Amino acid sequence: MTRILLHTRLDDCLAAWRASGYSVLAPSKSHELTRFNEVQHASDMALDLVLPERTIKDHFFPQTEPLIRYRIKKHEIDTEEMVPPELKRIFFGVRPCDASGLAIDDPLFGWDYKDEYWFRRRGNSVIVTIACTSADDFCMCTSVQLSPDSTKGSDVMLTPLKDGRGWQVLALTDRGNALLETIPSILQESDAEPAPPASVPVKFDIDKVTAWLADPASFESHFWKEISQRCIGCASCTFLCPTCHCFDIQDEGDTYSGIRRKNWDSCSFAMFTMHTSGHNPRNTQSTRWRQRIMHKFNYYRGKFDVNSCSGCGRCTRQCPVDMGITETLQSISNLPR
Amino acid sequence: MSEPFEPKIVAFVCTYCTYAGADLAGTSRMKYASNVRIVRLPCTGRISPMFILKALQKGADGVLVSGCHPGDCHFAQGNYHARRRWTVFRALLSFTGIPEERIKFSWISAAEGAKFAELINGVTEEIRSLGPFEQYQELQKIIETQSTY
Amino acid sequence: MGIQEQYRNEAAELLSSGAVKLVIGYGEGSTSDRRRPVFIRSADETARLVLDANCIANLSGYLVPEGLLSDGKSVAVFLKPDGIRSVNILAAEAQVNPDQVVILGFDIDGGQASPLPGRKATDFAPLIESQKSTGLSTELQQEADQLELMSATDRFEYWNQQFSKCIKCYACRQVCPMCYCRRCIVDVNQPQWVNTSSHTLGNFEWNIVRAFHLAGRCVACGGCDRACPVNIPLRLINHRMSKEALDAFDHFAGESADQKPVLATFRQDDPETFIL
Repeated sequence: MTRILLHTRLDDCLAAWRASGYSVLAPSKSHELTRFNEVQHASDMALDLVLPERTIKDHFFPQTEPLIRYRIKKHEIDTEEMVPPELKRIFFGVRPCDASGLAIDDPLFGWDYKDEYWFRRRGNSVIVTIACTSADDFCMCTSVQLSPDSTKGSDVMLTPLKDGRGWQVLALTDRGNALLETIPSILQESDAEPAPPASVPVKFDIDKVTAWLADPASFESHFWKEISQRCIGCASCTFLCPTCHCFDIQDEGDTYSGIRRKNWDSCSFAMFTMHTSGHNPRNTQSTRWRQRIMHKFNYYRGKFDVNSCSGCGRCTRQCPVDMGITETLQSISNLPR
Repeated sequence: MSEPFEPKIVAFVCTYCTYAGADLAGTSRMKYASNVRIVRLPCTGRISPMFILKALQKGADGVLVSGCHPGDCHFAQGNYHARRRWTVFRALLSFTGIPEERIKFSWISAAEGAKFAELINGVTEEIRSLGPFEQYQELQKIIETQSTY
Repeated sequence: MGIQEQYRNEAAELLSSGAVKLVIGYGEGSTSDRRRPVFIRSADETARLVLDANCIANLSGYLVPEGLLSDGKSVAVFLKPDGIRSVNILAAEAQVNPDQVVILGFDIDGGQASPLPGRKATDFAPLIESQKSTGLSTELQQEADQLELMSATDRFEYWNQQFSKCIKCYACRQVCPMCYCRRCIVDVNQPQWVNTSSHTLGNFEWNIVRAFHLAGRCVACGGCDRACPVNIPLRLINHRMSKEALDAFDHFAGESADQKPVLATFRQDDPETFIL
């Protein structure tokens, strides 16, 4: 016997959570875009999507956020920190890859310095994940040692029932337990069978890939130039990635006052490494693409012992010229040894 | 009680004609609305559409762009080029919902001090009746508070 | 012989005869209906070329990168009429030498790719002229009309919502053959005209500036619209600019390599009804 949540009780669930002071965000479509929006009713949610177009990363590491307000006076500068509020939020219907993305980025934001902006948003957010029972051509979680029912990064795991009436419910963390305690009468005991997870074929041999990347000889390989020839140098892959975390600090304002902001930045941009002198150590697109792959599957792995990729496949799905991590890693995996 | 609304209007003018026209209005002791802030440039050809966006960004309720009549440009062609740009830019602003009434264009020569004073008064009254450009200013306010998430 | 085989043969011939050093075309993509740009440098690789109704991307942007044409050698490129117009604009703006561009022209109609005879951009002049007389896309016009019917306030709100989705990934810019500036205005910070942050105001400014820079230069290939990962209907704003250029100045972007850029020229009798 396990606890289940029926689709028909989802609205009660939302009401109970709101009554407990949570706001609920779920995948939904607004203005022709699927993303995590605040929802009031179960009918607002788009839970059938393989994945929303935007990740939940946006809600922890927004594309732009103010850090400091400053005012320059004659002999001094006044500053005022702008710290994000700690919000009680439930992310409902997150996919395992997106949830894993948060867990992958946690060590980065908490490594030599605890990034308050990330952790204040992480603090009171509960991740309620729904295991995938369907996948598309671009999904590749199984290729990066994750799975369509991976619990990494989740507080509560929902597994769809075979009969399609609801989900099996499993709390994975204290935070998840606390959340379920707010809805005791809504959950029920049942022995209904769970649906099998989606079948996601393994597309490349990650061990072979990481071994090749770790070989210093690979850095100067012709491979990079060939694989990235058509890259146009936009940032749609990095900005839609659940784990990409690079940012830039910009001052926006005039001579006397302004706001210091933290904005997403991307290794795909030529400006990313441009020096003031005009010298650019990564002066071609191939060196930038190499950086992206090396960072995710070599450097990050070396530092935090985890790949900076959760296999969502958005990089390929959204690429204007049909590139992406899958093709590159497949090609590396198929290189003659 | 809040203070009555006084529109902020930025005027980008060329130095040879409209600025001289404004000067003439002044030396002739004509009175005109004090809502306009004049920015003097060498030629209307130098007035980039970016200036208009910047003025709106900084809280202008209306913008006026003015220079020499066709044929009178000190640099011979600057205003002809400017005219094409205005035509296109105006259509663009209108299509994105920035009301045409807030962005004005005019030809005012150095001899037209009276026209200048009259125009400023007219534009000021028109913008006053439209009210503050709250929709655009709201975008700036959002920046100054928290991020949207 | 189907069009794909015909064009593979032509590409092979161009390469083996030394007429071109490179063929830029389409290859299989990661799904059955996706095509990706491929770069073919020898005749025996031409079997990788695919040509069918899924080959919709405008490949002319790949001609622009610095150094590609500086050795004086020619490059062949698969282009639909929109791409041919792009080459004309790039030539008019002194970005490519049209003599170095060999066009493998085709068009897509009724779900099929069909060959367009010609090799040089000038060979397609009658085709482009007939496109001009047909006018701009009526479908786009109908979509744009929906917006024009709104009040300015509602239209502002519409774009406000659309631009609030923008993440400034610059896919629109990077995919566009016309966005070849070495340093884009958003990357200039002294003075900083456009807010670099991706808040709605910054996004508004960015999208207005890009549309303005494309006025009379956009060929409606739809590249930016398809590339946008957050589905902003960029086609509409660009269409509106094309319409203005055509209505006010009789300018149809990319008519020929001699065409003057619409905002770098003028006529003394240009319309000016709005000027006080």
